[in-house]
Amino acid sequence: MSAETVHTIIDDLGALLLFTSILILAASQVYRAIYAVAAQSLFIAIAGAVLATATGNRDLWVIAGITLVVKATLLPWVLHRVVQRMNVRREVEPVIPISTTLALAVLIVVMSFHLSASLGPVRQAITGNALPVGIALTLLGVLVMAAQKKALTQMVGLFASENGIFFTAMAVTQGMPLIIEIGVILDVILAVLVMAIMVLRVRSTVDADIADLDRLRG
Amino acid sequence: MMTGVRPLGLVLLEMILLVLLGPLVTGTIQKIKARLQCRQGAGVLQPYRDLAKLFRKGTVQSDTASGFFLLIPVFVLAATLTAAALVPVVRAGPSAFPLGDALMLLGLLALARFLTAIGALDAGGAFGGMGASREMTIAPLVEPVLMMVVLSTALGAGTTDLGILAAHRGTSWIFAWSAADFLGFAAMLVLLPAETGRIPVDNPDTHLELTMLHEGMLLEHSGPGLACMVLASHTRQIVTLGLVSALFFPVEPLHVAGAMGFLLGAGAFAAKILLLSIYLALVESSYAKLRLFRVPQYLGVGFVCALTALALRIL
Repeated sequence: MSAETVHTIIDDLGALLLFTSILILAASQVYRAIYAVAAQSLFIAIAGAVLATATGNRDLWVIAGITLVVKATLLPWVLHRVVQRMNVRREVEPVIPISTTLALAVLIVVMSFHLSASLGPVRQAITGNALPVGIALTLLGVLVMAAQKKALTQMVGLFASENGIFFTAMAVTQGMPLIIEIGVILDVILAVLVMAIMVLRVRSTVDADIADLDRLRG
Repeated sequence: MMTGVRPLGLVLLEMILLVLLGPLVTGTIQKIKARLQCRQGAGVLQPYRDLAKLFRKGTVQSDTASGFFLLIPVFVLAATLTAAALVPVVRAGPSAFPLGDALMLLGLLALARFLTAIGALDAGGAFGGMGASREMTIAPLVEPVLMMVVLSTALGAGTTDLGILAAHRGTSWIFAWSAADFLGFAAMLVLLPAETGRIPVDNPDTHLELTMLHEGMLLEHSGPGLACMVLASHTRQIVTLGLVSALFFPVEPLHVAGAMGFLLGAGAFAAKILLLSIYLALVESSYAKLRLFRVPQYLGVGFVCALTALALRIL
């Protein structure tokens, strides 16, 4: 594959990643957010595979495989199970209205394009929109975490944010050292597992929501 | 890449083709929906029979309606038919004579929508007024986004002329899409049910006052007037689908001149419209209608996608 083709494919995948991020933001049900984040991880894995074939970097194949197995399959399944086990209302509970969140998302996308344009020399090294899209994905994930009340959707946000960082790292550096990538993925797995268990435990012992934890009671 | 101009005869032929095929698309969508619900359903030609029946009926008019009311269906149909002339169907390329561009098309559709709402208000019925107010609530959310999608494609080609846009798309398909095209198409897929008046935004099948937008506005019309309005909404639907396929799919799959090329173009057009119809039927069968106040949120997804597509083009 020529460098031109690779850049086009990475750009297209970036657009699809942005689309899944928007779907996560606009999801009115927890399940849809989970499916969207699973699709996003799948696209990340495809991006990894494309870069692996282009650069011949064997580590990237490993990372793409791990992403596919862990982030696109295992973790969504865990989240899905948690939702089933919790037996709560399936609708998400936004702190700010979803339409406001979508407006903020537009702002974030435009800002990240401006930000990466102002980076000048760094931008020169990478053709295409990989850098601004990566920044936008990361910030959109943070926005999901900030805008949602439920711990589960916040997990989805963390997940999406991590995907963004991953995409930026892959597209900008043509692959970080394998050990770092694996470390990052392990971190995410642990975070999701710990949070999943926490959510279930908190729920079963005190029957509280995250929103109830922001006030101290003496 | 120019593939020759489109003469007046071809444009007229394409317009007539669109108008004649409009009811068939509605019939097909209804048939697919019925099959998905394990029903036999009415035949795909049912919309034609409905139209023929309506044209034979007499007209009943509300006492409060003004003289303008009878002209509304004619104006609406005229605006929609003119819009149909602007869509390239079987051949891409600029037209041989001055013809409106994509903005003109969207403007004509907006005009038809405005006239429909005015007519609904004119009749003085409560349902008509409610339908009109709802339609006018949704329209400002749909039209700018459609405009943005068109503009993001137009920026890539450097023109808003639909024929040249379609020619610019060339013969290649999804493999030649740029990142902005993906997002623009995603926005279009979100908007399509809204623009064609289908679930999850509107429900074309019921006359329950809680659910209807477009149908509410047609309640006061009857006989040939209603037939004109119904034909206009069939045409509007196929025009919207035609716009999507002209913007995102190749109009001429292979460059063949003469009658063979014409047939190929027509076949490709039928395939594209069928694909989009199946999409609409699937969406309509798998989603529930949204509450009216949830609709802005749904359309917001399209808005963000379209804006991101523009951002990818410009920034």
